[in-house]
Amino acid sequence: MNASIAHSATLAAGTTDLLQLRQSVLSLDAVKKNFSRSDGESVEVIEDITLDIKHEEFVSIVGPSGCGKSTMFNIIAGLLEPSAGTITLCGHDPKRGARIGYMLQRDLLFPWRTIIDNVCLGLEVQGIPKARRYEIAHDYLARYGLADFAKQYPNTLSGGMRQRVALIRTLITEPDLILLDEPFSALDYQTRLVLEEEIVSILKDAHKTVVLITHDIGEAISMSDRVAVMTQRPASVKKIYDVGLSRELGSCLKARSDVRYQTFFDSIWNDLDIQISGGES
Amino acid sequence: MSEDQLHTHIIRAGSVKENNESLAGNTLLTDNLWRGAGLALVIVLWQVGVNLGWINAFLMGSPAGIAGEAWRLIQSGQLLDDTIATVSATVIGFLLGSILGSLAGLLLWFSRTTARIIDPFMVALNGLPKIALAPMIIIWFGSGMFSKVMLAFVATFVVALLTAYQGTHQIDRNLINLMRSLGASRRKIFTKVVAPATLPWIISAFRLNIGFALIAEIGGEFISSDRGLGRMIFVSGNLFNLNAVWVGVFMLMIVAIVLYVIVSQVEKRLLPWEKGQK
Repeated sequence: MNASIAHSATLAAGTTDLLQLRQSVLSLDAVKKNFSRSDGESVEVIEDITLDIKHEEFVSIVGPSGCGKSTMFNIIAGLLEPSAGTITLCGHDPKRGARIGYMLQRDLLFPWRTIIDNVCLGLEVQGIPKARRYEIAHDYLARYGLADFAKQYPNTLSGGMRQRVALIRTLITEPDLILLDEPFSALDYQTRLVLEEEIVSILKDAHKTVVLITHDIGEAISMSDRVAVMTQRPASVKKIYDVGLSRELGSCLKARSDVRYQTFFDSIWNDLDIQISGGES
Repeated sequence: MSEDQLHTHIIRAGSVKENNESLAGNTLLTDNLWRGAGLALVIVLWQVGVNLGWINAFLMGSPAGIAGEAWRLIQSGQLLDDTIATVSATVIGFLLGSILGSLAGLLLWFSRTTARIIDPFMVALNGLPKIALAPMIIIWFGSGMFSKVMLAFVATFVVALLTAYQGTHQIDRNLINLMRSLGASRRKIFTKVVAPATLPWIISAFRLNIGFALIAEIGGEFISSDRGLGRMIFVSGNLFNLNAVWVGVFMLMIVAIVLYVIVSQVEKRLLPWEKGQK
């Protein structure tokens, strides 16, 4: 564990001076999570996660299935309390307030709301008057080519479109951190590649800090500045890779065809130590 | 691929639902023709059977006799009076029971403890055939319209309450978490997620309750009443006037169908997003 911190520190110092100068948006410090089972026994899901994410950085967290990724998601999103350790978001505890926007595998659009009303949800909760929030939403929808669908219900849209609407709903409240939890895993491969590209460019243009939680190694490498690899349960950070291919090449598709992509893929694959026969408890 | 290409790609991927309306219209027309023909055949066979002496008109009634009886009851105004009496008591009790029951079921979302405590009582009441309460309710509220309203109310309230409460439990936890992450209060989560997400459940409770309200109403009229279709059926049956019994039964069918159609229309209004799914 100490080794992994040292590793990430040297990488940060060595390669990306800019990132180091930026202020940190999210820091997890020795975060630990235990669950008590129904028989009273305590199960350790997260052993120790220490991670520091800087402003405008895109960081992926990759781990084997069942390693506690969704627990991590819930802790970062402020829906669960860690058992030990601290988590700070822009210097605050993330439990209060809408400083995190997230996007899940399922788009979670409300079927009874039109696209524009779905997009407005966050503004509505904040109590912004209807005329004003429609104005803002129309702006966003137009910017991302969805203006024609404003009055439609979500069930008339395809999966890829619905995810784009979900992203706009997330962006419209201007959160400090965007948390993505396997947002593409329900989509077919082509749509996924297109959407990866789109979302990275939208988030980059909006100067957002992003954490992507995924089991898809390729997705993590092609989109991220850094990839943190988790161990099996109980999870801790095994290794952090400085990737930055999409930022350097300006495209996720180009990142996927870069020579370094395969090298990253192989070493992350080895780190994950996936055994087909090994059961997930 | 450039940005613009990506955009058009995704927009094209957005599915445009196929429109099968003309096809559905044709099928509906043929179906209705078959239905009408089947019904006409049954009526003709029935009347022919009576005329040839194969069917006992005294025990079964006859189409011609039913038509004559209906005409008599319409002209005397009795059919209209009875229908109005039954429909008004049923609808008032049905609306009160279904609306208040749904509201109570929704509000239980706020307090799991209350819900847990009253749950066995609600399940017991739900299993009870509400018509068993009719003698008591008639003793308390008399044999007039008010006791019938109360019966329909009792018959529909618990169903609506349990269905609405169950509906609040089927809501995707992630939707509520999403609202929490946006900083929504419990009251806002209730109005913006819980209530609209439960609406389809509430509508289905309304649909079920039409039947329950009518059973309670007619049962109540059988036991003690001064007017209504149930009373008409009961009295005519005792007098072996089978034709009048049939008139009452058909009238009840029409009432039930009209109420179903009204609930379906309300559903279409309230759940416009479900149009594309069926």
